Amino acid sequence: MTDMARGGMPASIAESTLVSAFSESPTPMVLTDVAGGAHPIVWANAAFLALTGYDWDELRGRNCRMLQGPLTDRDTVARIGAAIAEGRSFEAELVNYRKDGTSFWNGMTLSPVRDADGKVTQYYSAQADMTGKHSLEVAMTLANNDLERRVSEQTADLRATLEQKTALLHEVDHRVKNNLQVISSLMLLKARRTPEGAVRDALNGMAERIGALSTVHRMLYSAGDVTRFDLREFADDFLGDLVAGLDGERTSVSAQIDPVAVSAAMAAPLALMLHELATNAVRHAFPDNRAGRVSITAQRRDGALHMLIADDGVGLSAATPNPAGFGRSLVEMVVRQLRGTIAWSETAPGTRVEITVPLDAISLRDAASEPDVETPRWAT
Amino acid sequence: MGHVMPTPPLRILVVEDEVLIALELECLLDDLGHVTVGVAGSSQEAIALGLSTHPDVALVDIHLVDGPTGVAVARALSADPRTTVVFMTANAKRIPDDFAGAVGVIAKPYSERVVAGTLRYVAECRAGHAASLDGLDGFRLAADGWDRLHP
Repeated sequence: MTDMARGGMPASIAESTLVSAFSESPTPMVLTDVAGGAHPIVWANAAFLALTGYDWDELRGRNCRMLQGPLTDRDTVARIGAAIAEGRSFEAELVNYRKDGTSFWNGMTLSPVRDADGKVTQYYSAQADMTGKHSLEVAMTLANNDLERRVSEQTADLRATLEQKTALLHEVDHRVKNNLQVISSLMLLKARRTPEGAVRDALNGMAERIGALSTVHRMLYSAGDVTRFDLREFADDFLGDLVAGLDGERTSVSAQIDPVAVSAAMAAPLALMLHELATNAVRHAFPDNRAGRVSITAQRRDGALHMLIADDGVGLSAATPNPAGFGRSLVEMVVRQLRGTIAWSETAPGTRVEITVPLDAISLRDAASEPDVETPRWAT
Repeated sequence: MGHVMPTPPLRILVVEDEVLIALELECLLDDLGHVTVGVAGSSQEAIALGLSTHPDVALVDIHLVDGPTGVAVARALSADPRTTVVFMTANAKRIPDDFAGAVGVIAKPYSERVVAGTLRYVAECRAGHAASLDGLDGFRLAADGWDRLHP
């Protein structure tokens, strides 16, 4: 071997050492002769014999094509041929066959060996059995496809279930709203056919309470968030109704309600409570054309809702006997249900009701909302 | 509410299959000084009554005896330029984007104040007066509702 053919290898290493090293290498290697164009195998190491399963006598003088078979990719073979024809180095992965007929993925590098004049005399090739890597790739692809299929199946299942549940929710929501309307209509119809007096008042009162609960339901299910309820939005709507039926010259209602988002569980009781207190004050504090004011405030402070309903009317003891009896016990029941406290006091003139209700976990989850002192549009 | 000019009573067609709701609504309309020209529970009845009575206003529920046909009723009734159609439903999600010719929707369950306020708004628009929707939370105007009320 010339210095040039040895490349950068120190001249001190004997050729016999190289031959010995290559022969003993665990990497399968083969050398072919390019002269004459038939490319016969002129040398192969033990690892190459082990990889292919052939004896040296069976390989000597043969072309490496003998290792190809039905699953060998023709394009890759053609590209190898082209590289050799041009004297280029080349890397490829190819299906080869052992003597016993079994196939393996052969990852090979081919490089030309040149003589002192730079003419290609031989081709050297080192190989590696890539079957493991290939079967891993195939297994990975199969596993991935399987996973993707299962994920998309499950996603489709979940989507169908969600659509079903959403349709069901809309159906139930529609029915509840329709039934509330029917109940309310029923009460009002009966009230219209009842002579003026206590019974008619009671029927109208019930229709109004149903109306308050209906408003809660409408607000809960139209906003898209069925877990929260804005107390101020409700108060705005409800007090609008209340004020619309008042002689604005004689009775005025002012309110400052913080935009407190409460949980759906607290919505109906709070709405009912606010309805009773405001309605009682407006209806019973100012008999005999007495003029007066009702003020309502609701604030969120220290994890609790603080409400104050005050009027400058005739006061609890002076009001006609027990007109607000049911309303008052309803309020006390609701406050107890909400685990809150209530205090009624005479302020001479008038009545003052203070209520503190602890907010539940869902209501507290709401980001701290700043009290908004903007005056609602219905307050006159 | 400020000073409002008086408007003539409205002739109203009620399209509602729930008898109790329809009956109570009729009483309410009467209280408000309007005239109910008919009550229809099915789409066929509604369209026939529309043709024979030419109402000023039709209050139309979506779900009728023959299914969710209120949308088709609204389309048919609003084809008559004399008629203003308002949906009145617990099922607002079924209303198409163009509101099928209706000017808006009153959400069920409604309060009498919202019905009264909506009719006052419609009457004032039809009479060419300035009208406001302030405080009418239970009523939602269609995208082209204002244009339809001001031809």
